[in-house]
Amino acid sequence: MEAVVGNKKRSKGGLAISKGRFVLGVTIPLLLYEALGIFILGWAFALIFFDYSSGRVGGPFLGLGGSNPFVGLGHFVEMFSGTSVKASLFRMSLKNTLIFAFAILPLNLVVTLSLAYLLESIGNRFKALYRTIYFLPVLTSSVGVALIWMSMYDPQAGWINAIIRFFGGTPVSWLSDPRAGFLGVPVAMWAVILAYLWQDYGYNMVIFIAALQNIPQELKDAALIDGASPWQTFTRITIPLIQPTLLFVCVMTMLSSFQVFDIIQVMTNGDPGNKTQVLMLDIYKNAFRYQNLGWAAAESFVLFLIVMGVTIFQMRVLRTDWEY
Amino acid sequence: MTVHTLPKSTSAKTGNSLRGSLLAGRFLTYFILTLGLSFTLLPFVMMILSSFKTNVEVLRVPPTFWPENFTLDNYIKLFNDPKLPLLRFYGNSAFVAFFNVISTLFTSALIGYLFAKFEFPGKKILFGWFLTMMMIPTQITMIPSYLILAKLGLINSLWGLVIFSAVDAFGIFMIRQFCETLPNELMDAGRIDGASEWQIFIRIILPQLKPALATFGILHFMGSWNAYLWPMIVLQKVEVRTLPIILTWFNSTHTGQGALVMAATVLIMMPILLVFMFFQRWIVQGFTMSGFK
Repeated sequence: MEAVVGNKKRSKGGLAISKGRFVLGVTIPLLLYEALGIFILGWAFALIFFDYSSGRVGGPFLGLGGSNPFVGLGHFVEMFSGTSVKASLFRMSLKNTLIFAFAILPLNLVVTLSLAYLLESIGNRFKALYRTIYFLPVLTSSVGVALIWMSMYDPQAGWINAIIRFFGGTPVSWLSDPRAGFLGVPVAMWAVILAYLWQDYGYNMVIFIAALQNIPQELKDAALIDGASPWQTFTRITIPLIQPTLLFVCVMTMLSSFQVFDIIQVMTNGDPGNKTQVLMLDIYKNAFRYQNLGWAAAESFVLFLIVMGVTIFQMRVLRTDWEY
Repeated sequence: MTVHTLPKSTSAKTGNSLRGSLLAGRFLTYFILTLGLSFTLLPFVMMILSSFKTNVEVLRVPPTFWPENFTLDNYIKLFNDPKLPLLRFYGNSAFVAFFNVISTLFTSALIGYLFAKFEFPGKKILFGWFLTMMMIPTQITMIPSYLILAKLGLINSLWGLVIFSAVDAFGIFMIRQFCETLPNELMDAGRIDGASEWQIFIRIILPQLKPALATFGILHFMGSWNAYLWPMIVLQKVEVRTLPIILTWFNSTHTGQGALVMAATVLIMMPILLVFMFFQRWIVQGFTMSGFK
């Protein structure tokens, strides 16, 4: 007995050692990778205080200082109160990003939630087919999406103007007319909003469908028996029950639309007259076209703060503490 | 099942007018869904039809729907253009996607398994720290990452696209979730048989993770294939570019040749659409899982 117990103890110790070795073998490279991440983050944070350009040599440490001078919070002061071209372009980009994001969110929610609700109410075989097709654009390369929509928006040969002409309207230069607008927003912005919406709605739909499927049928039946109208069932039963999903979808949609880049870069590249210049595009151009990396880093920091702020706000407003 | 028949039986008991309005509602539902469906499909249909038209026909006002002279010229031209070695660009995209998927699958499996099945001091802190780091958006890290690649001389190298994407928070999350459902007996059995921890991971755990890895791998493949901003920053020479960047370059150098550009678009989307057709169920499931952790 003694020997067996002793043996067991020893093997337990051996097991702990081999487990420990495995844990160390994984966590040490992981920590190194994380250290690199921290270094990158620290560098990004340092850059926002410098007038840094990769074209200049600068100081000994990461090229900071010297010909890349320290400016403190100068970038931020310039952004929000400066009169330079880049400062006013930043403010315009910020405004355009807000317009874009706050137009996308309600449009996306209305379209995806109602289509998901309708889709959830129909027979199973069709459901899968519809869902698949609605999901197709999500997988499509956004460059491809942009090119397809550009050809649809073509002022001469595009389908959208063809439809407008067919109904006797005046054709619009969707992507290049700086004056034409709707609800105070330039048509070019609406054009990219529509293209983005088209690419994106399948994603939220799939998530909503999954959430709607999880609602117990008994609750809907109870509402039906109590004489609730479909609208009442939707607003009083469905919406509260999918609130956690709704929160997730709102946050994710906001996050991605604040960081929109691909579609706009390809379709308009910020034109006409910078009316579709969004923050990511402005950051990209400043960093990689004009070599203003310090300025661009400061801009991305502002974008990051906005995104964080919106996320936290939405979590506060839409959070629920109960489950069903 | 009885639950599902309940609405039907109640509607059968009520009058004809209600049944009529239910029928109308059903009709309206299908009508709206089909309308949305057409709106979703029409741009694809237009792209495919345009790619079979001539460059003259796509400029016509009003536009033709069906190609007047159905032609494969655009596709033939694309494959025979010496300035556009398409296979090379497919190769670039495939190279990047392959290494991105392989490396993230490996790290996700390993780290996910570690966080699910092992207890060690500082685990919670490490995991929390890890996730926070992963939540930092690209626009913050993109500039220093670019500067590091420039220092390492990896600008214009396809490896530059791989090294910073070797670890993925979503993948780790997903695999950790999946690992937690695996019984501990699996590992214990291996340990009793004298297998080392690495052997247990490779021989016992990895095979168990197959479905989760497949789902995540497909999603990651598509993300890599469609990536635009970061590849555009890193790959500045034409010959090393991946497909989406080539597509915008091709578009800007072939203005007025709409049909040709649409054919190029079709070719570049094709691999993704094929992958989707084959793995559709897993993909939709994967996207849903990402929504519910």
